[in-house]
Order: sequence, then structure tokens, then C-alpha cells
Amino acid sequence: MSEHVVLVTGASGGVGRGIAHACAESGWTVWITARRQAEGQQVADEVDARGGRGHFRQCDAADADAVEQVVADIVATSGGLNGVVLNATSGLSPKPGVFAETPIAELEDHVAVSLRGMHVLALATYPHLRASAGSFVALTSEAGFEGKAKLSVYAAIKAAQRGIVRSLAREWGPHGVRVNCVAPLAGTPAMDRAFEMDPEMAARVLGRNPLGRMGDSATDIGPVVRFLLSDDARYLTGNTLMADGGSCPIN
Amino acid sequence: MIASPLDPLREMASALGAGFVAVPPCPLSIGSPQGADDVWRNSAVLEEWRATNAEGEARPAIVVAVWPDEHVSAAFTETSPNEFARRSEWPFAAWYAALGIAARRAADDGAIVALVERPSPLDGAGWAPESGAADAVEALVRSLARSEGHRGVRVNCVTTPARLAPTTVIAPPPSLPRFPGRVDHEVTQAVRMLLGPGVAGVTGTVVHADCGRSWR
Repeated sequence: MSEHVVLVTGASGGVGRGIAHACAESGWTVWITARRQAEGQQVADEVDARGGRGHFRQCDAADADAVEQVVADIVATSGGLNGVVLNATSGLSPKPGVFAETPIAELEDHVAVSLRGMHVLALATYPHLRASAGSFVALTSEAGFEGKAKLSVYAAIKAAQRGIVRSLAREWGPHGVRVNCVAPLAGTPAMDRAFEMDPEMAARVLGRNPLGRMGDSATDIGPVVRFLLSDDARYLTGNTLMADGGSCPIN
Repeated sequence: MIASPLDPLREMASALGAGFVAVPPCPLSIGSPQGADDVWRNSAVLEEWRATNAEGEARPAIVVAVWPDEHVSAAFTETSPNEFARRSEWPFAAWYAALGIAARRAADDGAIVALVERPSPLDGAGWAPESGAADAVEALVRSLARSEGHRGVRVNCVTTPARLAPTTVIAPPPSLPRFPGRVDHEVTQAVRMLLGPGVAGVTGTVVHADCGRSWR
């Protein structure tokens, strides 16, 4: 395998799309998975247009069989896998709720996509990352550091991913595989929905941001993830990079 | 105290003079589990437990501790879907329900302490689900500190590796030779401190009662 081959999950829009664009601009082969067929294929076409090689497979991040099949396709077609980006997240992520009133059953979709999905993705990709001395990146959030009064499930899920990454870095490091997180703050359709559901949120989010603006998925967030996927970050593991314009008060 | 019915936690409740509300067992640890989906097929059990215990007299101090009966360390990629559900998915749901009860039952100006098992970062290999659960609880604590702070309720977290620490630790050794610490000694002291009046301005923070093994 002479080319750089990466998989970005949940990349039919938002931050995942930005990461795909950034990787494309380095000429990488970018495999995109998402549930939305038309939007996912569009992003694959955009990767081609930006100098990379784009592929799309429709896939539910919580479906172990489907994820294994996609990874098998990648290896068979591209000859291996250098990097994986766990970006898929529950569609319920921006839905606000009162802590003690959120139905327990509602937690399942968050857990299925982001925690079980992380386990499924790790199992499917680890042998190939080990073969390439590759890199695994999980997209977490500043919410996972500081909690959120109205988005407590999302915040806890994102924190859990960071905890898992901390242990995985110790387990996979001796085999040459790096594992890191990026906590982005980006203007995305999901963030737009969150602002709509909580009109005061925009003032809270931007009011404390020293750079005074939301990040751009392709030019502010994507290059940070690309760095972690690249050999330039070959001595970096077990970390969370805050691509949030200095917004988060915890680091 | 809202906790798993384990001896060290019952003893802590006794030492604190607290009543005891038992957390329901993981469905994958009882009977004849069918698979990881058991966790979510049984979500109604947690829902009903939360609803039942959320009603009642307000309490000035509440400790929450959702601990499994036992721990088994395993590499993440050698962890079966059932084991992942038992070690990650169930604790996530049970902690969420238990802290929801605490939020409802905490009196104004009261205190909540979440006591979570957390492997120290240096000793985290083999404990990815537990590391994830512990970080999730930290975030839940901060979320609750935000939502309940307006009525004076403080919400903090104590972590312990008491049941997770390896027999041989990676160098350098922990700062205190008593590592990993005992639930009935160092851990109870930290919980008692965060429940007490001497920390009236402390909320949303985490105290690692691990004898100096963690630095954040």
C-alpha cells in the first residue's frame, strides 16, 4: 500500500465532511460511511474533486456486520488502512433534555452509535491499523470535559469516548498504533439545530470564544484531524487536541 | 446512599450514617442473559426504579456509587459484545438513572457525591470500558453541577482504583505507599470531605482518592 487510506464515519455532512475534504487535499484515499446515501456519495464526489480518491458505503455505525463488511471492502480495494476517524454520532445528540427526565430508553441510540459503535469499529479496524502502524482518531467534544446542563447524555457519551481512548492508547501503543481525540467546535448543521432548540446557546457558545467565531469544518477542524492521521503526529498518542478556538475552560 | 449492594459500599453507608437504596443488578449478570440487547430490553426496569426512588423526602447529602459485582480486565479487542455491554452500556444507563434520582432528592443547598471506580491513566490498559464509564460520570457530575447549582446544590466526584489496580504497577510508583487506597479509609474520607460544610464553594470537581496515581 503506497497511498494513504483513511476511513471517516458519519461523514455525509458537518465535521466529517470537513475532515474528508482536508484529507482529500493531501491526495489521500478517503472512505466515507454514513446512513444517508445521497449525501454520503456527494461527499465522496467532493473528495475526488479536491484531489483525493473518494469512496462511499452506506453503513450504520452500530451494525457490527455492516462495519466489518465495509472494512473488508476497504482492504480488498485499497490494499490496507492507515487511519480511522470515529465521527458518527447519534441523531439525538443536539436534543436538549432535563437530566432526571430523559427516558432511559432514549440513551440507547447514543450508546449504540458512539460507544458500541466505537467498540465495533475498533474490533474491525485494529488488525489493519496494526499492519500499517496507523492512527485512530475519535471526535469528542468540549461538552465531554465540562458537562452540559441540557445535553447531559451527549456530554457523557463524549467523555466516555475520551476515557476509552486513554486506555486504548496504552493497549495499542506497543503495537505501533496511535489513538487520539479531537474536540472540535464547528459550525455544522447539527450545531445549527442545537441553536434552534436552545436560542440562548449561540450567545453562550460564542461569548466565551477568544477567536469569536465558530470553526470551519474543512479549514479549522479537518487539518487538525489530518495531522493526527499523518506521520507528522507519529509521537502523539492518548491525547485530546482542542480545536475549539480556545473556548473550553478545561484543558 | 444510592449504590450497588456490595459490602464496601454498605459499610460506607453505615460509616456515613446514611440510608441505602440498592441499584438494580445488570441484566447480563443474572439469570440466563440472551445477549447485549438485554441491557436495553430491560431499560424499563431502570426507568421504574428511577421513578419510584425519585419521589420522597429531600436529603441534604447523597452519595451515588454504581459498581459491578466484580471486575475482569481484558484487551478492548478481546472484549466480547456481551462483556462490552456489561462493562460499558449498563453502567452508563445505571449511572444516569441513579444520578437522576440524586438530582430529584437532593435538598436545596445540599450535596451530591458520585463515587466512581476509575483506573489510573498509567494503569488503564485492559480497562477501556471502565475508563470510559468513569469519564462519563465526571461529565454527568459537571452537567448536574450546572443544572442544580442555581438552588445551591453542590455536585462532585470521587474516583478510586481500589478494585482495579494491578498488583505490579508501571514505574514510577504511586506517591503514597498505601496505593490504591481502601474504600473504608481514604475513599470514605474524600467522600465525607466533599459532603461536608468546609467545601461550600466546591462543585463540579473531581477528587482522585488514589494515593497520588493521577494528576488530573
